[in-house]
Amino acid sequence: MIKLSNVFKEYKLDGEIFAAVKNINLSINKGEFIAILGPSGSGKSTLMHLIGLLDNPTRGTICVEGKDVSKLSDSQLSLLRNEFVGFVFQQFNLINKLTVLENILLPTIYSKQKFSASPEERAFSLMERFGIKEKATSYPNKLSGGQQQRVAITRALINNPKVILADEPTGNLDTKTGDKILTLLTELNREDKITVILVTHEADVAVRAKRKIQIRDGEIVKS
Amino acid sequence: MQYLLFLIKGSLEDFRRNKGRTILTSLGILIGVSSVVLLMSFGLGLKKYIENQFESLGTNLVRIVPGRILSGGGFRSGPGAFGGIRFDEKDVASLKRIKEAEYIIPVFTKTITASSGKNSNIADLYASSADIFLGINLKTKYGAAFTKDDVEKRSKVAVVGPKIAAKLYDQEVKALDKIIKVQDQSFRIIGVLEAKGGGFGGPDLDSFVYLPYKTAFSLNPDKKFMVIIAKARTKVDLEVFRNDIKKQLLKRYKEDDFSVIQQAELLSAISSIFSIINTVLVAIAAISLLVGGIGIMNIMYVTVTERIKEIGIRRAIGATRKDILFQFLAEAVFLSLIGGLLGLTVSFLIVLLVQRVFPAYINLQTVAIALGVSSLIGIIFGVFPAKKAADLSPIEAIRYE
Repeated sequence: MIKLSNVFKEYKLDGEIFAAVKNINLSINKGEFIAILGPSGSGKSTLMHLIGLLDNPTRGTICVEGKDVSKLSDSQLSLLRNEFVGFVFQQFNLINKLTVLENILLPTIYSKQKFSASPEERAFSLMERFGIKEKATSYPNKLSGGQQQRVAITRALINNPKVILADEPTGNLDTKTGDKILTLLTELNREDKITVILVTHEADVAVRAKRKIQIRDGEIVKS
Repeated sequence: MQYLLFLIKGSLEDFRRNKGRTILTSLGILIGVSSVVLLMSFGLGLKKYIENQFESLGTNLVRIVPGRILSGGGFRSGPGAFGGIRFDEKDVASLKRIKEAEYIIPVFTKTITASSGKNSNIADLYASSADIFLGINLKTKYGAAFTKDDVEKRSKVAVVGPKIAAKLYDQEVKALDKIIKVQDQSFRIIGVLEAKGGGFGGPDLDSFVYLPYKTAFSLNPDKKFMVIIAKARTKVDLEVFRNDIKKQLLKRYKEDDFSVIQQAELLSAISSIFSIINTVLVAIAAISLLVGGIGIMNIMYVTVTERIKEIGIRRAIGATRKDILFQFLAEAVFLSLIGGLLGLTVSFLIVLLVQRVFPAYINLQTVAIALGVSSLIGIIFGVFPAKKAADLSPIEAIRYE
């Protein structure tokens, strides 16, 4: 489904070339639950941004469902981000001036997909599932971290993505709340057959994943 | 459609959040739009006024005045204003021999004191032949105009304009059959004219006292005329008519002793000068619109910087570059349109006030121009900040704190 071949991401720092990730060869299959594990600064976030089509590699190719993403236009890439991927960030990245419901509906505004249910119906059924239905008209900064992360997951799911990319989803949460979020992601993988890619520096978070990829200094050291 | 609604809702939401900033920014456009609209409406009013004057002067007319002049001074060609000569009945008779002439109308004017016995007022005496009423389109509202007979018999009758009638006899209709005293001579009022307008710098025909010119010889002992109005038959080339008049008068006078002026021509020249001045003024006022536009650009750059994180989030969840561009462009256009609408409202109110003294008005075209220009300003000055927002790298934007 997603295939990275000889992928490099290099930056020029003070005239010296610095590779955030180097020579990544990785194949992610449909329905997998993968953890990308590595200490901070290891390049795991850069790798996630590359997989999530937020960034372009300086060398190598990334193929999504057989398509070379370097050949896609901005609107094609944006559409893939919109319909193929769902992001969950450590910082939640909700827009605070929009209500919970508006935040969740935001991806549908940019979507061209047709669903049998209206965006609002889908949003409410997901909110019900994650127990945040009564928060629909609240603003994100009035919610607890766990609630905010569930709003973010709902937003990630609204367009029925094939992949959920979670970048340290428990990083800003206490252990108990973090556990609940991880359980939720596991469920999505098991019951909804959504591919989950979990980026973390904590080994006990990565335990949930069936496949672990360890990254250090921008290179995959163990997979 | 839903997307557009979303853009509008988003923009309005942001304006609500930054009320003060929104009002101050649109103020620039408000001032620009209202000054442009006001100047345009004054220009339109002036044009309308001049057109009215055109009509009140009648068509196919030329005026023969003494002296060499380049531009006429309306009807008030008083003594001393031009050369030394005065026309007399001999000139009238000789001009009547021109075959293109329909009417040759001698005019003697004088500032007089008119009195009803009870009230008295300064007025203009306008002594002429019976043809004057047809010649310059004067119609009676009450009674009738004096006739050729009245002129020949030197009847002591007068026709008055509605304004002087109302001033002297309280009501226009009451003036009929009353005696009007002009410099201690009495005349019976046989007609009151319909209002003709004018009086804004031009001749105020509504305040004139019209007398048969032969009757008025008692007030004009020299039997001379200040102006002769000549009306050509229909379909006669006025240029040819003018030349014939000149030829006829040159038999008696020198070239510099008189002028034959075409009032309509003069007015159209004045009208075009005014419209050039108006265009220049509107262009100067448009500079303030430019300043307003720069204000919008400035605030849009601030907005983009404040919302880098939001832009990053939107990009991550699927907004294209174009989506971001349109979002900020829409906001700039709305900001400008709000200013434009407020500016229009302000100008409507001012025009409403001004209309008491001047026929300024706002037409549909002005409204369309005002709204079109303010949208355009929004687009022109919004496109650079919006492009800056659209070109942000999603990954850098989302990491921005």
